[in-house]
Amino acid sequence: MRAFAALVHREFIEHRGAFLVGPLILVAVLFGATILAFTVGRVDARFSGQVFTVAPLRVYEVGFLAFGAGWSLYLISTLFFYSADGFAADKRNNAMLFWKSMPQSDFKVLLSKFVAALTILPGVVYAVALLSGILLFGVAFATTLINGTGSVGFLGQIAIIYGQVALAILAVVACGLLWYMPFIALVGALATLVGRWAIPIAALLPALLSTLEWVTLGGFHPFATHVWGFLEQRLALPDTPYAEAWLVSAEPFSGWAFTLDLIAGIDWMQVVLGGVFALVVIFAASEYRRRGNDN
Amino acid sequence: MNELSTLGQTGDLAPIVSARGLRKRFGRKEILHGLDFDIPPGRIYGLIGHNGAGKTTTLNAMLGLTSCEGTIRVLGEDPFAKRAKLMENVAFISDVASLPRFMRVRELFALLTNIHPNFSPEKARAFLEGTDIRPEMKIKHLSKGMMAQLHLAVVMAIDAKLLVLDEPTLGLDITYRKRFYRRLLEDYMTEERTLLITTHQVDEIEFMLSDIMFIRDGELILHMQMETVNDKFTQVVVNDPADQQAARAHNPVYEETRFGQTVMIFDGVDRAVLEPFGKLSTPTLSDLFVALMQRPTANPESAE
Repeated sequence: MRAFAALVHREFIEHRGAFLVGPLILVAVLFGATILAFTVGRVDARFSGQVFTVAPLRVYEVGFLAFGAGWSLYLISTLFFYSADGFAADKRNNAMLFWKSMPQSDFKVLLSKFVAALTILPGVVYAVALLSGILLFGVAFATTLINGTGSVGFLGQIAIIYGQVALAILAVVACGLLWYMPFIALVGALATLVGRWAIPIAALLPALLSTLEWVTLGGFHPFATHVWGFLEQRLALPDTPYAEAWLVSAEPFSGWAFTLDLIAGIDWMQVVLGGVFALVVIFAASEYRRRGNDN
Repeated sequence: MNELSTLGQTGDLAPIVSARGLRKRFGRKEILHGLDFDIPPGRIYGLIGHNGAGKTTTLNAMLGLTSCEGTIRVLGEDPFAKRAKLMENVAFISDVASLPRFMRVRELFALLTNIHPNFSPEKARAFLEGTDIRPEMKIKHLSKGMMAQLHLAVVMAIDAKLLVLDEPTLGLDITYRKRFYRRLLEDYMTEERTLLITTHQVDEIEFMLSDIMFIRDGELILHMQMETVNDKFTQVVVNDPADQQAARAHNPVYEETRFGQTVMIFDGVDRAVLEPFGKLSTPTLSDLFVALMQRPTANPESAE
């Protein structure tokens, strides 16, 4: 277990640029831009819009949720590139010879990459997202204090909002990772075989499979097949009626209600099948790596 | 068991490496043509051959990096099937820098402490004392020589039974190469450890070898203890044309003229017989290598 944890940690060391340094730079740039926007009057520092008159705390909820959505998109794209690159990274600079001189199986090494993609790497991005939320709240709170729309008495409510939104973002990240787990594993396994070519191949694979079904079994057109329909369903996160209802209401956001709604909407049988599929493709990739001599 | 493998044996100790009928193909081309050899413990072996002779393929077979026909056992295990387990007791340095470049030295030691049960970070740090390598340095910023020093420190800090070095000093200057091998001998070698080295700079490692294996076109053409090499092969410098003619009657395995002197190498000819023809000596490994690479086989009975 200690060895496995160390292998997961080395993935973080190898990819901290994309999952820690990059996001921190992004936060710094955004924070700087926000300060600058207020300073030069690009943003209405008086918060004179109607929404702030009706629900002055809405800016915290909407702002942090928007940040959460942005960070989720960042995470999805970096995890895709991580899977396509990280699983093949040991081939670079002859490093495969070093890793193969270690008493760790190829399956354990690839599994550590997969586990890193589900734990430490998104965990770091989530931590940076929380930091960006704190900075956002700090700027917004300072501004409301200056323009007189807020008061120190709001602090307790702001902290609750922060906790609720942080919980919702955590739920989206955790459920999203579980839901997209087989795709992460598939791209990683492809990368073990073909290196960075896994990026275009992963994008082309659904179209190829769907076309193959259309050619062999028939259908209206290549994208009106069972394969395409399944992938469309499998690639979309479930709808959350709570979020849709909350957006048009004046109620405070409840992270707990959102989380329960999200969990209830997930097809957990698909998650279990996806987990099994992920383990199978990673094992197959590890056998390829064990038998190959890409030194 | 043929002469090759018998000559390599010492006592009744179980061999560290044992190969029988080892063959390897890449497509239609056969790279290894059925190698048979045993490597006993506590020895320092030199595996010597031309580029493309099959040295690295043989090492890869021992290290479980490639599958082969025939049988190979390292420490009693099939290396291809049990590579991960085997690597607890086998360490190797390849002919190219392979350390993970994205890490710092201290991160590498911390990782190895956790993933290798026989790695000692204290030993590794001790081996680096007196070098310019610092724990905070990134491996990608190290020079080629420093990288080799670090890799040597890493493998010497692993309590392994077999250490395999595939051209470990390739591209390094002479000072560093000499220091590298001296350190290996003084700080690492014990009776329980076996060392297998391949290099083109054979003269630099000759002093430390206990056994040699010459490989040519995928076949072992010589596998002997160094003492046997000294007894078996004789080099004679023959100046007189009449003596040269007489010496040729004893079938030298190699003959060349250097600076006006004719040098002949004989295999298995009594030194007393050769004494009258000129000055006798034992050929260096490089001379022997050049000599044996040019004749059909040094051990005809085993190479068939």
